[in-house]
Amino acid sequence: MRALKIPLLLLQLMLLVTASPASISSQTNTGNEKDAQLIKDFQDLVNKYLKFRKNEVGSSPRPTNSPDKIADTQQQLAAKLQHKRKDANQGDIFKPEIAAYFRRQIAATLATTHGKKIRASLKHAEPVHGMALHVNQVYPQGVPLQSTPPTLLLNLPPLPKELEYRIVGHNLVLYDSVPDVVVDFIPDAIPSETN
Amino acid sequence: MQRWSQILLAALFLLSFGFAQPPAPAALFLASAASEAKPASKALDVRLPLANKSVRFAVIGDSGTGGHEQFQVADQMERYRQRVNFDFVIMLGDNIYGGHRPSDYRHKFEEPYHALLDAGVNFYASLGNHDDPNGERLYKPFHMGGQRYYSFKKGDIEFFALDSNYMDPTQLNWIGQSLQQSRAKWKISFFHHPLYSNGRMHGPDLDLRSQLTPLFRQYGVNVVFSGHEHVYERLKPEDSVAYFILGASGKLETHDFRPSDQMEKGFDSDRVFMIVEVTADHLYFQTISAHGQTIDAGDMARQEQPDAAAKNQK
Repeated sequence: MRALKIPLLLLQLMLLVTASPASISSQTNTGNEKDAQLIKDFQDLVNKYLKFRKNEVGSSPRPTNSPDKIADTQQQLAAKLQHKRKDANQGDIFKPEIAAYFRRQIAATLATTHGKKIRASLKHAEPVHGMALHVNQVYPQGVPLQSTPPTLLLNLPPLPKELEYRIVGHNLVLYDSVPDVVVDFIPDAIPSETN
Repeated sequence: MQRWSQILLAALFLLSFGFAQPPAPAALFLASAASEAKPASKALDVRLPLANKSVRFAVIGDSGTGGHEQFQVADQMERYRQRVNFDFVIMLGDNIYGGHRPSDYRHKFEEPYHALLDAGVNFYASLGNHDDPNGERLYKPFHMGGQRYYSFKKGDIEFFALDSNYMDPTQLNWIGQSLQQSRAKWKISFFHHPLYSNGRMHGPDLDLRSQLTPLFRQYGVNVVFSGHEHVYERLKPEDSVAYFILGASGKLETHDFRPSDQMEKGFDSDRVFMIVEVTADHLYFQTISAHGQTIDAGDMARQEQPDAAAKNQK
């Protein structure tokens, strides 16, 4: 009986490991060189953007007691970035093949046993509907943030500090938290439940 | 004689309009009640032991409306501060609703809490879904040090303020490592979205729960405070972790509870704040309404977490 117990425990451990959210991406990516290349391409584009923003626009300001100073700095950073990136378009970073990878990855994550929890979390997060998105727009004041489910974030390529994935309705947004600006987005990246 | 009869008639006339009536008992009672209410600190119902060398703080959540009720709660907080001497406040998110213009910071934070701020009380904020992470993390009176998530120590307690809007792998690694390295007797975490909740408006965030509760259990978090749900709820401990929801220091959602045996105490008919006192081995709490009524109070012994205890024995 004791001899049986150990392999059973090992099996349970293996099941736990394979069912853990972190393993979803490694499972789907293992041996998939094309996906690995797409992730690398995406991260190169993201790093290039961040280097550009830091050099041309600036870095995160220091904390201050003055709300006026915070507002002024935010406006200046956003205006400068909008000017420097005035020719930027949707899809510059989320190029079609990269966007297709993200859509696949999100759909695969939602299809796992964690999908139900992620869906519940998305509903819990006060979904934002009817907000028109544009590259370079400042995230509108007064619109609540829709929280991004952690299990979903574990299955997307990691981002450098200051850049975030945000969900707005069914769209996935690449957001720069320093100038408070939408860098790029994938429309309808989150499939609806009936799909 | 005629003169006397005129005086008598005039007196009767005045009495008939009530001018010369003796005061009614009800009026005396109200006067008496009003005069008793003046020295406010004497009338306060304080359920904390006010022990030497304890750490005392207040808790508010979903506060930043700028409305009359937020000011009412703030006034009660100042009354209690004068007696209890708490010197900091933790904020459970939605610190500033709506716009984030400089005037919003003033009207929804600096003005309501000016008496507390003037008395040197420090506020430690976490971010809610109605906050502007970019602005608020840079606002020095929120003590976030420019970060979305951070920790700080007070006496035997280490506090871990999380950003539950964006629990990315970097933040998960940070909280895991910070909890593991912490040598504090008490570990208290606070953030906006509740992991357990019986509120109808939102309910629990199940995905966030699946990521955070294993860490809390493994590294011995004692207490978790959340907001988001515009009520007060004290839940039965889960895996020896005590969970409180306090999301009604400005907003309020009445009749918001689902029946549940997970709930120890629920209150959804007035705005609230909380005062907490922590000694070496006990935590005492008192939840007070905007009208000064104590709606919940109690204490808990410091719990050694099962996983943490096992680790210490190795």
